[in-house]
Amino acid sequence: MAAELKAAPDIRLEDLTVGYGDVAVVRDINVTLPGGKISLILGGSGCGKSTLLKHILRLHPPIAGRMYIGDHDICGLSKADFRCIKQGLGVLFQDGALLGSLTLGDNVALPLREHTRLDEAAIARIVRSKLSLVGLEDFMAYYPNQLSGGMRKRGGLARAMVMDPAILFCDEPTSGLDPINSAELDQLLLDHQALFNMTIVVVSHDLQSTWAIADYVVVLGDGRVLFQGDVDALRATTDPYLRRFLDRKAQGGAVERLEDELDRSLMKEDCSKYWTSLRK
Amino acid sequence: MSQEHSSLTAPVAAVGRASLSVVNEMGAMALFFLDGLRLVFSSWSQFPKMVRQIFFIGVKSVSVITLIAVFTGMVIGLQTYYALAKFGSEGFLGAAVALSLVRELGPVLTAIMLTGRAGSSMTAEIGVMRITEQIDALDVMAINPMSFLISPKLAASIISFPLLTAWFDLVGIGGGYLTGVMLMGGNAGVYTSRVESALGWTDISGGFTKSLVFGVVVCTVCCYKGYFTHLRKDGVGPEGVSSSTTSAVVMSCVLVLMADYLLTSILF
Ligand SMILES: Nc1ncnc2c1ncn2[C@@H]1O[C@H](COP(=O)(O)OP(=O)(O)OP(=O)(O)O)[C@@H](O)[C@H]1O
Ligand SMILES: [Mg+2]
Repeated sequence: MAAELKAAPDIRLEDLTVGYGDVAVVRDINVTLPGGKISLILGGSGCGKSTLLKHILRLHPPIAGRMYIGDHDICGLSKADFRCIKQGLGVLFQDGALLGSLTLGDNVALPLREHTRLDEAAIARIVRSKLSLVGLEDFMAYYPNQLSGGMRKRGGLARAMVMDPAILFCDEPTSGLDPINSAELDQLLLDHQALFNMTIVVVSHDLQSTWAIADYVVVLGDGRVLFQGDVDALRATTDPYLRRFLDRKAQGGAVERLEDELDRSLMKEDCSKYWTSLRK
Repeated sequence: MSQEHSSLTAPVAAVGRASLSVVNEMGAMALFFLDGLRLVFSSWSQFPKMVRQIFFIGVKSVSVITLIAVFTGMVIGLQTYYALAKFGSEGFLGAAVALSLVRELGPVLTAIMLTGRAGSSMTAEIGVMRITEQIDALDVMAINPMSFLISPKLAASIISFPLLTAWFDLVGIGGGYLTGVMLMGGNAGVYTSRVESALGWTDISGGFTKSLVFGVVVCTVCCYKGYFTHLRKDGVGPEGVSSSTTSAVVMSCVLVLMADYLLTSILF
């Protein structure tokens, strides 16, 4: 029997440890991302957000633990069954991951051509409408290397949404976008969630969009889950690291450390030599 | 004492380890090939991809194969003419040129040229797709990267290599005619009739078999090296792609010549 996704499935991670080889990146994750909601995975750069996403997509084997999408234990599924599950997933990679040898239009059309029996006219209509959602309908014939970073990302989002997936994963959809485009993208995610009752998982360190779209938040840091709960709980948190993260405070001491460095006579000499040489 | 012992056996152990890893890799490549071949027939949508690859591997290589073939034929025509003239048997020129081209030089030189022209770019293309997460993206779109990327290339190689080899043979025999007949003044009718009478069915089918095997070897090695670029230990990112391209070309050429020896001793 082929595995199939129900509408708006939740994602449960139990005692999950993710990493590469023997090196764990995030340990002991016990998280349930609620179905039919927008969940945000927050955390500093390099804390393992993309890593967690790739493990949920089974691109890497987990070091320990179990993962469930809906009722399916995704580590236990056969390749063929998991392929059926994947047809119900949409994924935006951190840098878009559009196929370089295809135009933007062909990239977005690819899942439709591979998985449906629609004729070319219908495919063209769907592709155009999805691209117009992200404001790229005039760039159908462009190759990915002719697009800017933000455009590639929006193109990747159009491709992720083209099959109207049950779960949409977005790795930093708003990084590299200007404020107007970011706000539009947030609205787009909200609209899609409302319209198609999707489960949406967004990886981000953009706080503004967190407050704008999140129903549920997971904060990673220090190789573990620092916080999970809904947005209001996060807003009210008193945890010092989380507060620093939320209030955008720099880690203390950076300025003092720099002054210490500058105090070292050698460096001072180097600097003054450098400046005098410039003035000459 | 024990140190002496280990310094004595170390080279042997190293050779052993290297051989084991080579055998291992060959096995993995064989499985890779079978997987790719199985998926050639997975759906009708493979057909247009295959045609595109035949255009890339086959059609776009015709000019360079033609060029190489003309000059190879001309050199063989010239050299063999001198050698035969020493025994006063210039009349056998056509036979000598045709046999050496069809049995040996045609398949081998075509395979080596195609390794450089098409094989290296297959490795680089697939390797770049691997390191920029394009292969992961295909995978999560539930599109099997093996059937999307590798199978059309395999099928196209299996079709293109023998055809290009046949073209190489034909043009090469023409090149021999240029030097042996038109330049050195041999007899045109004798040349062509010797070509015809010398070539038997075993020669032609043997050359054909060789080119088929070479197509499989070159395409499998080059695709495999690109596909597993991210697992290389001697470089990551762009450096990994460049080292897998280099090793794909070297390994393809070595394996083609080894397979050539084996096939020659079995087939003829
Ligand atoms: N292929 C890999 N092999 C080994 N380690 C890796 C690999 N990819 C990432 N890492 C390590 O895993 C850790 C987490 O990386 P990851 O890409 O998940 O960070 P991230 O939270 O997505 O950061 P960012 O917000 O900057 O994208 C990093 O320390 C990184 O060095
Ligand atoms: Mg990331």
